[in-house]
Order: sequence, then C-alpha cells, then structure tokens
Amino acid sequence: MSDQRSTTGAPDILGEIEAEVAETLAEEELPPGGPAYQTIGALLTLAVGIGGLVLALDYGLDSLRRPGPGLWPFVCASVITVLSVVLLVVGRRLEDSVAFSRASVLPAIGVLTFIGLGVLMPLIGFEIPSLVLCVVWLRFLGGETWRSTVLISVGTVAAFYLLFLHGLSIPLPHLLTF
Amino acid sequence: MTIVIGYVPTPVGEAALEAGLAEAAAHGDDAVILNASRRGSTVDVDLIDDEAVAALVARASALGVEARVEQPQHGPDVVDTFEAVVRESGARMVVIGLRRRSPVGKLVMGSDAQRILLDASVPVLAVKPTA
Amino acid sequence: MDDFLNGFAVVAQPDTLLYCLIGVLIGMLIGVLPGLGPAATMAILLPIVIQVGDPISGVVMMAGVFYGAQYGGTITSVLLRLPGEASSVVTVFDGFALAKQGRAGTALGVAAIGSFVGATVSIVALSLSAPLVASWAVDFGPPEYAALALLGVLLVATIGNGNKIKALIAAAIGLLLATVGQDSFSGAERYTFGSLELSQGIDFVVVAMGLFGVSEILHNLEERHGKAHVPAKVANIWPSRKDLTEAAPAIGRGTVIGFFLGVLPGGGAVMSSLAAYATEKRVSKTPEEFGRGSIKGVAAPETANNAAATSSFIPLLTLGIPANASMAMLFAALLVLGITPSPALVEENPDLFWGVVNSMYVGNVILLLLSIPLVGIFVRILRVRPAILAPITALITILGAYTLNNSTFDVFLMIAFGVIGYLMKKGGFEPGPMVLAFVLGAILENNVRRSLIIFDGDPSGFVRDSISGPILAIFLLVALWPLVKTLMGRRAASSTTHDRDRDTAGV
Repeated sequence: MSDQRSTTGAPDILGEIEAEVAETLAEEELPPGGPAYQTIGALLTLAVGIGGLVLALDYGLDSLRRPGPGLWPFVCASVITVLSVVLLVVGRRLEDSVAFSRASVLPAIGVLTFIGLGVLMPLIGFEIPSLVLCVVWLRFLGGETWRSTVLISVGTVAAFYLLFLHGLSIPLPHLLTF
Repeated sequence: MTIVIGYVPTPVGEAALEAGLAEAAAHGDDAVILNASRRGSTVDVDLIDDEAVAALVARASALGVEARVEQPQHGPDVVDTFEAVVRESGARMVVIGLRRRSPVGKLVMGSDAQRILLDASVPVLAVKPTA
Repeated sequence: MDDFLNGFAVVAQPDTLLYCLIGVLIGMLIGVLPGLGPAATMAILLPIVIQVGDPISGVVMMAGVFYGAQYGGTITSVLLRLPGEASSVVTVFDGFALAKQGRAGTALGVAAIGSFVGATVSIVALSLSAPLVASWAVDFGPPEYAALALLGVLLVATIGNGNKIKALIAAAIGLLLATVGQDSFSGAERYTFGSLELSQGIDFVVVAMGLFGVSEILHNLEERHGKAHVPAKVANIWPSRKDLTEAAPAIGRGTVIGFFLGVLPGGGAVMSSLAAYATEKRVSKTPEEFGRGSIKGVAAPETANNAAATSSFIPLLTLGIPANASMAMLFAALLVLGITPSPALVEENPDLFWGVVNSMYVGNVILLLLSIPLVGIFVRILRVRPAILAPITALITILGAYTLNNSTFDVFLMIAFGVIGYLMKKGGFEPGPMVLAFVLGAILENNVRRSLIIFDGDPSGFVRDSISGPILAIFLLVALWPLVKTLMGRRAASSTTHDRDRDTAGV
C-alpha cells in the first residue's frame, strides 16, 4: 500500500504503523497457508485466462478498426494469463493466503444449507428450509443449546415472514398463509 | 482442601464470594474463584478484567485465604466447566449465588444455578444476596 | 444555488429522512458488530433498495450505511480494543489507552466531533467542487470515459489492499465476467455455454451479493473467536475544552488528508486513517505520546476516515466512476434503478444529486447526536453472540437474492460467487477489484470499442487525446510509484499486508 504523501528519508513512520496495524488485524485471523496455496491459486487463474483466450479467439477478433466480439475478451484473458504466469513464478513467498482449517467444515455446511434452501424454497415454501437452516446454523455451527436454537429459529422465521410478506410486500413462496 | 467459588460481578456473585471466602477462611481452605465466560462472545459482562482479578486475590489474602482466579471459556453448558475445575483442583465444595427466577423465566432462559445444584459431584453452598 | 436548497427540501420529506435515519443506524450497527463491512451490507441491502424503487431514498439509505459505519467502528476500538472496521484499527492504539485511563468518554467524544467535522467539511468541499468537475467532464466522449474507467479499475487494483498482481488478475477476471452474455455490438453470444439465463448476462447485484455478502458470511463462520472482551466503562461523555483545543489541529490535518485520499480510487478510509495518524506522529513535538493515550492519536484517524468516506462519493457522483467497492454498490443500485451515473447526473438529476449530498449533512448531524448516547445500547448488542446473528444475515441475503427476479438461478449463482469469494480470500485474492471491474466492465468495453472505431483502429489515439492522455499518464505515475520506491530501497517486498476481510472490500 503506498502513501502518496509520504516524503523520503527519516524513519518510515507509515511503514511502522502499517506493520502494527497488520499485526493487530492478524491476531484473531487464521494462519497463512503455504506456498501450495499460492501455486494452486495461480494455476487456477491461469486456467481461467487460457480458457478465456481460446474461446475469445473462437468468437472472432476481427481488426482494431472494427473490433469483433472476441477482441476485448482476448485482451482481458491475455492479461489474466500473463499475470498468472508472473504470479506462479514470483508468488511462492507471499503470505497473504489463509489456510483451511478443521473449522473450514463449517462454511462447507453453510453452503450446503444455502443450496438446500435454494432447491426447496420453490417447492415447499421458504418457511421450512429457513427453519432448518437456522437450526443447523445455531445448533451445529454455532454451538447453541437446543432451547436457544428452537426459540431463535422460530422467532427468526416468523420475523422474516412478517417483514417480507407483510411489511415489505415482497412475495416469497410460502407454505403458511396468515 | 479447596473450595470453588463461582463469581460474576453482580450482587449475586458478590454474595457467593463473601460466603465462599468466609467458609474457606474458617476451614483453612484455598479458593479457586471461577469467572467463566461464554465461548464465542464478543463482549461478556460476566467477565472481569485484570485489575478486578488482582483485587479479588488481594481481598482473599486479607482474609487469610490463598486464592487464584480461573477464567475459562465455556460452551452452552456451564456445568461441565464447573465440574472440570472441581476435578482438577480436588475441591470439596462449590459456592454459587442464587437468583430469583420465575418458572417462565427458567423455561425461556434456563437456570445454570439449578443445573449446578442438581448435577454437581460435590456439596453445593447456594447463597442468596442479602436483600 | 436553487438546486442546493431544493436538495434540502428533498431531504426534508419524511420518507427520505426515514431512510437516512435507517441507513445511518444500520451503518453504525455494522460498524460496531464484527463480521460485516459496509460493502457487504450494502450488497445485502440491494434487493431491498431495488424493491423500494425510489432512487433517492435508496441511495440516501445506502450512503448512510457507508459513512455511518465509520462512526460505529470507533466504539469497539475504544472500548474493547477491537477494531470494528479496518479504518478504525489505528484508533485502537490511543483510544483504548485512553479508555484504560478512565477517559473512554473523552476518546469517543473527540472521535465523534472529529468525525463530524471531517465529514461536514468534506461534504462542503463536495458541494462546491462537484458541479465544477461535472461541468468540465460533461463533454467527455468515449475515449475519455474509457480512460477514466480504466483508471478507476487500475487504481483500485494497485493502490488498494493486497498484492498488486493478484488484484490485477482479479480485476481482469471481473472484466472478463462482464463480457458474459450477448455482445451488444454484434449480437454474438460470449461465454454462455448454451445457457439461456447466462445469455442475458450476469446480474451484477447477484455477483456483488455473492462476492461480498455470502463470502463474508462464510468466512465469519470459520473465524476463530478469541476471549470475550470486558468493555471499558464510559464515564465523562464529552471532552473538555482543553481536550478539544488539543485535538483541533489534528482534526484539521485529518480532514485535509482524508478528503484528498478519499477521492483517489483505491484510497479511502483505511488508508486515510493510517496516513493521518502517521502525519500526526511525524509533526508532533512529542511523538512518544502516541500509543499511550494521545487525544491527537484518536482525533486524526477518526476525522480522516470520515472525510475520506465522504469524499469518495465525488468520483461516483461527478464522473460516474466508483472509487471503491462500496461506491460500486451504489453504482450498481443506481444502474438497476434506471439512473446511469455520469457527469450529466448533476444537471439531469439535481434532485438526486443534491438530495443525496444534503442528506449527508443531515445524516452526520444525526450520527453526532446519536453516537454517544447509543454507546450503551451498542455494547449491549455486542453481547449477542455472533453465532446468533449469522443465520439471520444468511437468510436476509438468500431470501433477498430470490426476490430480485423470483429466480432460483440467481440464488445458485450468488452461492457460486460466494464460494468463489471465499476461495479467493483463501488464496489471498481480494474480491473488491473483481467486483469493481465487473461493474465497470461493460462501460469500459463499450467505450473502448467505440473509441477504436472513432480512432479508426489506432490505439495511440488514446494517448494523443488531450484528456485521456493525461489521465493515462496519471495512472502510470501512480501505479509505478510503489515500484519506484521499492527500487529506491525504502521497503522490502511490502505487498504482503494481510488485511482483515471484513472491510477490505469496503473501502
């Protein structure tokens, strides 16, 4: 991060402060992942870049005078590809990745509940899938007691029912009609 | 022997502390002052800061009781934490403060004190704050 | 002048005032609560804003969320040594020290006053400069727009947080994503893989909600929780006259620094707070006092971050270029509501422009008056475990996404982008540049293609053009500055600052 206004010379106060800030922020964060993360990341973006390139060529570049549909995507994809290669070479030492941990199961479960809600909502209304999501998040992901889970889940779904369907008049597929 | 005293910075907790320290002084026990906080909380008003911890230890010393303060984090069930501390310190008694809870209140909010009374493996001294 | 006064009439309408109040309250709330930053919140609010339908109310509310968050982040910094927002991290150093000395109220009071002064001066400067910039820019043609959009994207990628190369890659991917769908020039289908939904292009509200909202929610599920904090007591609420006189020069400097760094795309509140703190320390005759409870150490960053948050509206409202991820959310909201932000906005939509600008005056007054009395309430709200708030936020996001087009495809697309955003953070990529580039992508491409047609295929036309040339020159200067500094040996490879995710996307 560069500071436009800092002057040369003298102890780099801004740099010191940036370091202190980074330390404070890092206190509760997960540890950085290793070089494998950097390499895999770069390879993934490289794949995106090359894929984009190939398809863009397909769409036709035409000429600079009359740009074809593929020209701009080609330019973007080329940038992605070139920079990904640079990153592959240079990026192994970086420490800005965040390691997966055992707790990473939690977001995975979260995603599953999202997908479940998306799939089930048009079929059986939003109430039941939302309730299930709340219960899973509160009891299993959040470690709350059953009493607390049930109370908050029911309360939340009811509140959303009132808010969306009555307060804001936004139609949601729903099972119960009040 | 040792006594475990459950402490929170409220009149109920103060009552427990007073009674617990008196008990410990009378029998020559050590005291473990348990100031537990809920895991995952950003702010927990039951928790006391380092200055208050030092003050508690000093207060106990003034009565001739050697005390240490433990501040573990507990999950949804606080009884387990109490049990763990009791086991680890070989305590002979637990001292807690009791608060009035209506039946509905107990249903909705639960009662940690009640669970400790029922489930603890050692005698429990339940103290009510002097009105 | 008429328009300016008219703007107050707009704000005075009860509806608009209500949305302003809701916005600043939500803003303060998320500033206090760990876990969601202003950009993520604005993304999550997009469906509601779209539903409400009135651009003025919607923008007023979202704007309130944005600058309100700057006030809220201070509270946890001072009382808990926990920065609520990344722009309040520096406040932790001296703010918490003051709290330990029993002067938490003083710290909060000075911060609130500084925030108010910084924001208000910034708004005044905005009111004065915006019409000028807009009238200068109104004659812009495709090459100028292309250069500006490019500058915006590139600046956010290079000046913002995180590794520059990764940010540029993310931005380029964002540009690529913007091409998905039917090409408006030729009608050809690009990257749609035969999908009917994709041929209409990817809805940027969905992308924003996924990359900012869902990914932050997912990340928060995993975050380790440290010990609970004991909040410091707040005794004397208002700072003494002596404190204020001591803080005044810091407030002054902070305002200027914040205003200028906020206008810069990629700059913003975080950088301003750091720069203001560093400046105070540098000009101080007693630098040792910093970190131990210096009033200036609280006044400067807090003033700067509010000034910057306000001035970052300027590029959006006058040129149509979002300066940071939060502004990109406003940009998206305006586009969906049928208003294209451009230099013509001031002229063609004076109600909107002045309504929003003047709502900021009102909003900041509300914040100044409410932020201290509400401290107690916010501390109580912090007692609610984050695990309880998580499903509520998740539901708002998913249900909100569904209501955009009554489409589950949108929901799944948002989830997909949420996972992508989560994985990006794992890999050390910032989602901010990607969202910004995505939002600007269509504009950038259309203008580049039109320019190429105008220049008859000659790209050097960009350089020779009297406005886009200097713009590109500015970009090169700014982009290469860090390289220059590195070569001069000032710092070792410094692009490894690991930033907290909660607000890196925000400013």
